[in-house]
Amino acid sequence: MNNTNRALNRIILLLIGIVSLLLGAAAVAVIVWPEAAEFWTRAGKAIGAWIEQAIEATMIGGTTLSWLTLAVLALILLLVILLIVALVRTIGGSRSHMVFRSNGQENPLGRLTIEEGFVSDALKYSLGQRSEILFSNVTANDIRNQPVMHVSVTPRQNTSPRHVTEDVDQLVINLAAMTGRDVPTFISIHSGFRAKLARDQRRLA
Amino acid sequence: MSTPVFRRIVRRETHSPRTVAMIIAVVILIVALVYAGVEIVLHLLAQPALLWGPAAVSAWIVGLPTAQPTSAVVAGGIVLALIGLAFVVLALAPGRLPKHQMNWADRAVVVDNGVIASSLAQHLSDETGIARDNISVGVSHRRVDVTVTPRPGVPLDEERVRELAETEMESYQLTPSVKTRVRPLRRQESDLNS
Repeated sequence: MNNTNRALNRIILLLIGIVSLLLGAAAVAVIVWPEAAEFWTRAGKAIGAWIEQAIEATMIGGTTLSWLTLAVLALILLLVILLIVALVRTIGGSRSHMVFRSNGQENPLGRLTIEEGFVSDALKYSLGQRSEILFSNVTANDIRNQPVMHVSVTPRQNTSPRHVTEDVDQLVINLAAMTGRDVPTFISIHSGFRAKLARDQRRLA
Repeated sequence: MSTPVFRRIVRRETHSPRTVAMIIAVVILIVALVYAGVEIVLHLLAQPALLWGPAAVSAWIVGLPTAQPTSAVVAGGIVLALIGLAFVVLALAPGRLPKHQMNWADRAVVVDNGVIASSLAQHLSDETGIARDNISVGVSHRRVDVTVTPRPGVPLDEERVRELAETEMESYQLTPSVKTRVRPLRRQESDLNS
C-alpha cells in the first residue's frame, strides 16, 4: 500500500473532466444552435480584441515581446511542473524501516538489531511451507507515521479465507513472541491468475 | 488496536485509487500544454509554426461556428464531451473493488470476492456431496448467488444448501454484509441423454 493522495487524483480528474465536457458541449452547441453561434462569434471577437490590446499595452520597450505573453508562458511552465509533480507523487510508497528488536550495545559482541527485512523473510518462508498458500509477500509501510505490516497471500482455489487468516494470524503471534514487538498487521487474501492456474486440490504426499 | 489506521487501510484496499485515469488525463494535458508553449515560443522567435501558430488557432476558435466540415466539429465535440463525462464519473463514483473486509480481532483482513466464492463452493460441495463442478458461486458487493446443478434423479434439498451457505457466510463476518440466494439449475434434456 502506498500513500498516493487519492483526493488529489479525483480532484484533478474532476477538473479535467468538467473542462473537457464544457468544451465539447460548446463545440456542438455553436454548430447546432444559431444563438449560441452568434454569442460565440461576438464573445470571441471581443476577447480577441481585448487580448491584442493587452499585448500592445504590456509591450516591453524596444522589443517585440509582451509581458502578457511571457506571463502566459510562465503559467504554462508552472502548470506543467505542478502536473509532473502530481504524477511523480503517485509513484512509490513509504517503506518502513522499523526495528523489531534491538539490544542496544549491551552485548559484548556488538549490537543486534532485527529489522523488517528479516521478519518479512521469516514470514514468507513459513507461509511458503504451507501447501495451500501459493504465493505470499510481506512488506512494512508507514501509515500515518505508524508502521503497519502487510501480509499478502494468494491461496489455492477453494481454500477457506478463514483458515488462511487463522494461519497467518498464528504466525504473526509467534513472530511477536520472538521479537517482542506486536506490529499492527493487515492481511490481504487474493484470488487471481496464479490461483486459477494452480491445481485446486493440495497434493496428498 | 489502532482502528483509525486499520480503517484507512481497509478503505484504501477496497476502493480504486483512480491513479491510472489520473495519469492518462494528466499526461494528455501536459502534452497539450507543452505543445501550446512551443508554438508560442516559435511565434515569438518569428519561426514557422509546427502545425498551427497562435494566430491561426485563435482565428479558428473564433470562426468555429462556420468551421467546415460541420460534421467533424460536431463529432469532435461529442467525443471530447464523452471523454470529459467519463473523467467526471470516474472522479465521483466510489470505485469499489470486488473485495470484502473480514472482521477479525486485532487484524485488518481484506479478501477478494473470488476467494470467498470458491471457498463457499468447496464447502457446499464437501457438505452436500454435490460435485464441486456443479456448484457455482458469485459474490458481489451485497449478494452471494449460489447456483446448484443437482445430479439427475436426486432431488435437491434447497433449504439445506441455503442454510449451509448462510452459516458459512456468517462465519466469515464480512463487511459489508451479504445476502445469500440459492438457485437450483435444471439439467438440460441433452445433458441427460449424453
